[in-house]
Amino acid sequence: MSEVKQEAATVSYMEQLADASIQGQSPLFHADLATVAKSGPKTGGVTFKEEALMGHITLRLNAENADQLKAAEKALGVALPTQPLTSVEKGDVSVRWISPDEWLVIVPGLKTFEVESALHNELSGHYQVVNVSGGWTIYKLSGANVLDVLKKSTIVDVHPSVFPVGKVVSTAFAKSSAIIRRSGESEFELVVRRSFADYLWLWIQDASREFGLVVEA
Amino acid sequence: MSQKNRLQSGGRIDRSKPLTFTYNGKQYEGFAGDTLASALLANGVDLIGRSFKYSRPRGIVAAGAEEPNAIMQLGATEATQVPNVRATQQELFSGLVSSATNGWPSVENDVMGLVGKIGGKMMPPGFYYKTFMYPQSMWETYETFIRKAAGLGRSPKEYDPDIYDKVNQHADVVVVGAGPAGLLAAQTAARGGARVIIADEQNEFGGSLLSSKESVDGKAAHAWVASVVKELEANENVIVLPRSTVNGYHDHNFLTIHERLTDHIADRAPNGQVRQRYHRVRAKWVVLATGAHERPLVYGNNDVPGCMVANAVSTYINRYGVVPGNELVLMTTNDNAYRTAIDWHDAGRKVQAIVDTRKNPTGALVEAARERGITVIAGSAVIDVQGSKRVTGVSVAPISEDGSKVTGSVKKLSADTVASSGGWSPVIHLSCHTGSKPVWNEEVLGFLPGKTVQKQLTAGAINGTFNTAGALEEGKKAGLEALEKLGLSAVEVAVPATTEQKESKPMALFHVPHTKPTSQAPKQFVDYQNDVTAAGIELACREGFESIEHVKRYTAMGFGTDQGKLGNINGMAVAAKVLNQSIPETGTTIFRPNYTPITFGAIAGRDCKDLFDPERYSAMHKWHLEHGAKFEDVGQWKRPWYFPKAGESMQQALDRECLATRESIGILDASTLGKIDIQGKDAREFLGRVYSNAWAKLPVGKCRYGLMLKEDGMVFDDGVTSCLAENHFLMTTTSGGAATVLNWLEFYHQTEWPELEVYFTSVTDHWATMTISGPNSRKLLEELTDADVSKDSFKFMDWKPMTVAGVPARVFRISFTGELSFEINVQANYGMHVWEKLFEHGEKYDLTPYGTETMHILRAEKGFIIAGQDTDGSVHPYDLGMGWAVSMNKPFSFIGKRGMQREDCVRAERKQMVGIKTIDPNIVLPEGAQGVFDPTAPIPMPMVGHISSSYWSACLGRSIALGFVKGGLDKMGEKVYYPLVDGRIVEAEICSPIFLDPKGERQNV
Repeated sequence: MSEVKQEAATVSYMEQLADASIQGQSPLFHADLATVAKSGPKTGGVTFKEEALMGHITLRLNAENADQLKAAEKALGVALPTQPLTSVEKGDVSVRWISPDEWLVIVPGLKTFEVESALHNELSGHYQVVNVSGGWTIYKLSGANVLDVLKKSTIVDVHPSVFPVGKVVSTAFAKSSAIIRRSGESEFELVVRRSFADYLWLWIQDASREFGLVVEA
Repeated sequence: MSQKNRLQSGGRIDRSKPLTFTYNGKQYEGFAGDTLASALLANGVDLIGRSFKYSRPRGIVAAGAEEPNAIMQLGATEATQVPNVRATQQELFSGLVSSATNGWPSVENDVMGLVGKIGGKMMPPGFYYKTFMYPQSMWETYETFIRKAAGLGRSPKEYDPDIYDKVNQHADVVVVGAGPAGLLAAQTAARGGARVIIADEQNEFGGSLLSSKESVDGKAAHAWVASVVKELEANENVIVLPRSTVNGYHDHNFLTIHERLTDHIADRAPNGQVRQRYHRVRAKWVVLATGAHERPLVYGNNDVPGCMVANAVSTYINRYGVVPGNELVLMTTNDNAYRTAIDWHDAGRKVQAIVDTRKNPTGALVEAARERGITVIAGSAVIDVQGSKRVTGVSVAPISEDGSKVTGSVKKLSADTVASSGGWSPVIHLSCHTGSKPVWNEEVLGFLPGKTVQKQLTAGAINGTFNTAGALEEGKKAGLEALEKLGLSAVEVAVPATTEQKESKPMALFHVPHTKPTSQAPKQFVDYQNDVTAAGIELACREGFESIEHVKRYTAMGFGTDQGKLGNINGMAVAAKVLNQSIPETGTTIFRPNYTPITFGAIAGRDCKDLFDPERYSAMHKWHLEHGAKFEDVGQWKRPWYFPKAGESMQQALDRECLATRESIGILDASTLGKIDIQGKDAREFLGRVYSNAWAKLPVGKCRYGLMLKEDGMVFDDGVTSCLAENHFLMTTTSGGAATVLNWLEFYHQTEWPELEVYFTSVTDHWATMTISGPNSRKLLEELTDADVSKDSFKFMDWKPMTVAGVPARVFRISFTGELSFEINVQANYGMHVWEKLFEHGEKYDLTPYGTETMHILRAEKGFIIAGQDTDGSVHPYDLGMGWAVSMNKPFSFIGKRGMQREDCVRAERKQMVGIKTIDPNIVLPEGAQGVFDPTAPIPMPMVGHISSSYWSACLGRSIALGFVKGGLDKMGEKVYYPLVDGRIVEAEICSPIFLDPKGERQNV
């Protein structure tokens, strides 16, 4: 194992995944969602699923630099969303707008290093690519009462008229934070930090209790 | 039927559903649809409490939120106790248990009554201030007694078993109040496509229409209400909230609504349901349609049970089918209240007389009363009433046209109920919450909402529009105006027809004159809840309290849980009369949130118990739990503190952990350290500006310790930053300081040096970090990696990528213990795997997990600081003896450079960090202990600095401490003394802070 050697390597990055014999543990590993899913209710107003072990890459660049935008598009296969609070999704790549010079790229876990490398290979100038896969996980919430749970948890207005499918907001969620994206009419993805994952899982169980919570694994 | 005051028919109660409840230990029966107040009145319960100061018997006065007397303690069990519930707003349910809040030891026989009676004039306003102020040391004793006697209710002594909830709402239009104006506003706005929330504190929508006999839109008023509610409920953009009090109107059109979901069902919410919900609402526009409260008149003994507000009497008759007495005398300044006498008469009970303060009342309602044979005594007033626990009769006398004096002889009438009406006060509370000053309106004889900076509209009685037709019209107008402001198109809404009678002009009268001067007349109560009388207000004014704000504070008027809803305006009128000025000259009245009391549960919501504060866990948290770790809170992180084995004390565990690390190998979960990935061609330059030391020449593959300073030169964080590649660094911060440091970097980058090309991204959560430390740590690492980690190829302060236990890792050879140490970082999803592999292979070395406490001891043995423990924002690097971490020669300045060169920062005799060795090695000084040079000096002794870190060092077999001493760095070997709170004076010697391995040989092996 060694760092990728590039000519005049100005940054250092590496494949961070172990071989397949070593199973990574997502932030909710300890909750044993598979068992919860099996023994828990099958119907309810809210459905919860952890999209575990995905590849998360933070990308920073100058959105006014057309060359960088083009390079990022080439590496990702999809253009970066430059409209604030939006996202794009193509195939197995999704990109969330985080701030005027920041995006969160989410890919299948196994593709992380490939995408990271592609970004480094295509991009030039001042940019930052950081693999943050270990720091985040995704909670998928759906169901008839998903808006009720969100309204208990965040001050952002989640009404479809102002929070359409594809919209992304990084904001306070309960007493932690989440990158909230509407992925369907009644489906949302929350990207949450590893260290807060257990707290947010407790919070969501609690907030969903009156509607009935279905866990999928 | 035991409910002696219940009518056989009529009202919005369900006589087929009897409900049993308890009041003051006695069982009573009421019906579904009753409030606790209406059920008590139905049962002929006159007495519901004792007054605050004089302990006078009190009865139910009103029928809504403005009720000052019927303040109940509710709860069938200790855990479900709720204080200060207005009986007039509490819906009856089967099994409700209530008791009077006031009245100790009992309502019927009250010891305070004695004080009150003897008291009389002995308890003028300011009584408590004047009597109980001295000696001041006794105040707490007095306060306990006064509070108990005053009976403000009590909180439960057990955990509240119920669940409360908070929810964030957003709306185009929030309509407050669902009377005729609110309903039409909501209907109009909703039809126009706006997102609407309509909230009303009552169980049913309709407001004034609920107790009205009018018809609206050609049908019974409640039928029209039902049709509108149905339409609103069917609209998916409308949230309909009954039993929901808009309690606060805050800046930026933010409203708080307290919704009671199960308070009407049971003592405790059934099946784990949410009991109450607190809506936090952001509204684009707000329509206040909050209605009006009827004002009682102020007359002698007007607090005797049986004295009520006129409209409340009508409400009990029409809405609840309860006539709260047998013989009524109505005193009124207006036509409107004639309805009460008519309702009473139509219910089949006797109206002794209508006493109208106006000389020559005319109008449809007056005629309707006369047609029923009711005696109307014009130009007169009820000047006082007789009775103690219930009205037995009234004194009626003619009064002057301006209402200022009694002009004729007094006549007595028998009566058990006195209904009075001085007109209506618009409910302007919410408008006041936002700082808007209400304005007196002579036409309305009340305060109206003043100028507002909020996006606020008003409709109906709040504007002084007291008739239904006008309210409906204004509701529609407010709805249309909201639509227009929102940029939505207008819609057609028909204002329904009503059948009201025209009313003639009311008279402005608040305080009814008596034959005697106010100070000698029977008590004329203004504020029932706080026992403020007209005489009290007059006295306050005479004592020089001329500002209404001072009068209120001196007399306590309006300071009860009812916020003076009934009394404030009468009180102002009394003050105005004494001061010989108009009401607007006297001042205005202001209300604050909350409109009615709210439970703490609703405010807390789910932010309690396990969810009170997030607990942050590392990837190895479960292992720590399974291995018996005791935890310490570091920020929101739960960090292992120490790992006691069975039977071990904390000190024994620490001794074992320390020795194992120094002698073989220990392991620490360091994942919580803040980690920031820094990239860009100017990253190095940036580091040079935010750290006090130099970064220009740090080679790739090397790590360096740095101090971060605030502008004033004081240390605020520290950590190791590693050069990953020419333009790429990994910064570490303290666990608690991670977010602060990232903000600090962004702040300086964005505001001061935007030209520097550098990006920062937090990777704290991404990497799981474990530090193995001790002489055997290299051996252990070698077993798990193929990389060369030998002394020469992996030097102290190097870092290397390598595979550890099959997982790609970055390993840093840095040390916080002074031992040979390796900090292994892996993608956090593999943290547990690598951690467990280390233990698998480390067993033979007795690999020992240790927590933050052992970490603190081991670093203190080496004299390493903890930012935030050994620094407190007043310590610069030189104070710490860390001048080696300052580079004054950097081409660009750095944050704190100028600050630490200020005169005070360079003077001699600053407090400097040194090691402290007690002469008796077994004494561990308490952290925070203050040192002195001369323990024989007179008290207060000059103090020379405090102990910041102090431990028992098992490795050294003695106590060690780090502390601050004035000029300490030049006082090596000198004595310093620590006088302790227990009287001991501990003698100690100033020494180097490095207690162990001063040459640093152990970490360089």
